[in-house]
Amino acid sequence: MQRSSITARRFLFGGFALVFISLLLSGWVMQPSAGPAFSANKGETPEPTESREPIPTSIAANLDKPVLPENPTLADKGAQVFWWYCMACHGNKGQGLTDEWRESAFGEDMNCWVSRCHASNHPPEGFEFPRQVPQVIGANTLRRFTTAADLKEYLKATMPWWAPGLLTEDESWQLTAFLLRENGSLLPGDDFDPQNAASVPVHLLVKSKSADTGFAYILAGALGLAILTILAGNSLKGEPVTESPRTGPRPSFFHHLHPPTIPLPQARWRYTLGAGGLAVFLSVVLVITGVLEMFFYIPTPDQAGMSIQTITFEVPFGALVRGIHFWAAQALVVVLVIHLVRVIFTGAFVPPRRFNYILGIILLVLTLLMNFTGYVLRWDEGIRWALVVGTNLLNTIPLVGEQIYGFVVGGASPGLATLTRFYAWHIFGLTLAIAFLIGWHIFRVRRDGGIAAPIPELRPDPSRITRFELVRREVLAMLLATFALILAGLFLPAPLSAPIFDASAGAPLQDVRAPWFFLWVQQLLRFGDAFWLGVFVPLALVAVFVAIPYLFPRIPEEQKGRWFPRAGLAAQIITAVAILGWLALTILELLR
Amino acid sequence: MPNLSRRDVLKLASNGLLGLSGLLGLGALFRFLSYQPAPPPPKRFEVGDQSLYLPNSRTVITAIPAVLIRIDQDFTAFSLVCTHLGCTVELKPGEFTCPCHGSRYDLHTGAVKQGPASKALQPLKVEVEASGLVVIFKG
Repeated sequence: MQRSSITARRFLFGGFALVFISLLLSGWVMQPSAGPAFSANKGETPEPTESREPIPTSIAANLDKPVLPENPTLADKGAQVFWWYCMACHGNKGQGLTDEWRESAFGEDMNCWVSRCHASNHPPEGFEFPRQVPQVIGANTLRRFTTAADLKEYLKATMPWWAPGLLTEDESWQLTAFLLRENGSLLPGDDFDPQNAASVPVHLLVKSKSADTGFAYILAGALGLAILTILAGNSLKGEPVTESPRTGPRPSFFHHLHPPTIPLPQARWRYTLGAGGLAVFLSVVLVITGVLEMFFYIPTPDQAGMSIQTITFEVPFGALVRGIHFWAAQALVVVLVIHLVRVIFTGAFVPPRRFNYILGIILLVLTLLMNFTGYVLRWDEGIRWALVVGTNLLNTIPLVGEQIYGFVVGGASPGLATLTRFYAWHIFGLTLAIAFLIGWHIFRVRRDGGIAAPIPELRPDPSRITRFELVRREVLAMLLATFALILAGLFLPAPLSAPIFDASAGAPLQDVRAPWFFLWVQQLLRFGDAFWLGVFVPLALVAVFVAIPYLFPRIPEEQKGRWFPRAGLAAQIITAVAILGWLALTILELLR
Repeated sequence: MPNLSRRDVLKLASNGLLGLSGLLGLGALFRFLSYQPAPPPPKRFEVGDQSLYLPNSRTVITAIPAVLIRIDQDFTAFSLVCTHLGCTVELKPGEFTCPCHGSRYDLHTGAVKQGPASKALQPLKVEVEASGLVVIFKG
């Protein structure tokens, strides 16, 4: 029912187009005094070729239905779709509803803005011309779209303006291809696969599927197979040694990272969850991929967004590098929270590990800042409002708020200085602090006697493993993590939307979501005062975690080195409540 | 033939595959770093109508950089990039000199008058189109 009415309407509008063109060609062009273009042809759909009279060729070339070549590409078909649905408003050259276009297309009717005035059977079925119709072909057009998938979704959902949803799936793709070709992104005769539309740029030259993709699959496959053979070879199962560590020469820094032997129960995955080591590994991955991105990233407002598009769409393996950087950063937040939960749930925060626990909390906070600054470096419409809200929160701090805002933003509103400062913090300031603290954190693990365990006399299992076995386990974890990151980088593109072209202009609110790790703050902010809920509560939460080892400083020896020691119950409950609250707020905000 | 146990075979396979993925990763890294976002510089320079250049004149065109010489109706040009290490040579009375390391070139032929450069300034192709437009080709 619905479908047939849509088909009927399409036919009607198609008829309108034909009548319109034929009248245009035969009517007012030759006889400028003829009446309104459509009034004589209600409901009729004559073939334009039959009613055509001799006309100037320039107009014919402009307004004729495009002819399909022998083997039409998507773009060739799209030219017809454009002619059919879009040309009336967007112009024969995609110039938009300019005065010249209105004059050449509508002649005397060029100033008819009456509602439902246009169409073959107007009124009541006609449509109204919008006053403002953007140019869609030419320099600086379609700036709000990044990928062919974005453009196609928008067309499908909102066009044609008088009947959104009229375009079929195929027509939307054809139109997308046409717009890409006319804007010089798609070489004539080339085509793109709608399957890959999320990685087809609107503003850069569309590359035909490159050999690099296959290369990356082979790399992922080789790595996956290597992991399988390692697991099948069982070469990771070392023999536990029972002797206790010998006192040898003065231990070096590397002995602190990997002492000759460590207790077996505390080396098990199910005890450590591998979170600390994984966090270190992810940090290394982030530094490497981050440095690679710096080869192409340009930290200026007018270039940042496009330089990221260059990395993503043009540079060989650029999307993979960026994807790995993005997913490693997201994974790091998750892994750090798991690490924190593990430490609290195994009672490892009490002295002498209290100091290292505090270092860990500082690292978690710095990592969140790192993620936020990195997120802002995208400088696209997706980050715009998170940046505005995040920095305005600083303004709400009593007394010192404005100073802090100026220090972070470098001006009265986000702009050039903000991007430069966030870049400097991201690649240098925070990185330096984090690198230093990671080194200290790992060093302190050993200085505090390794991972929390009871004194040797109280251990149920006195087995130990050698440092070689430890390294083997770490290598396996790294290989698995690398494999997972490569898969994520290959198949889950990192988000990217249209570059911000004018940070001070109020743009349409495309994406007002905070980055996912701050969604809980966004949800909190809906409840009331910005300072108390957006600044005080998050800081108070950090303070609670800092306070835990001071409030509950004692765990008996025999309860150490295992999950859920009874003496740490209160700390465990506080942590569980905090984590569940965080999750609940995040989910609430996500469901909006 | 050595007797390989299942464990040895698997170990060999895993080492081989790890090595292979490492090499592939290096290849990807090489491809990544080889990408050049900047378009290559132009090779064709339109320098205006021939009437702009008087007969028996010598004009320095800084954008290329090159010197365009007209002798009667014949146009020739040579590059002003020093053949030593790439600085732009300067027009001095009677010769071209390189400010970086002091090479000196003949004003008319571009030949080396004094080192350290050992090659003459590179001659460039010049074409005068039917419309009179002078075009210099670089490289």
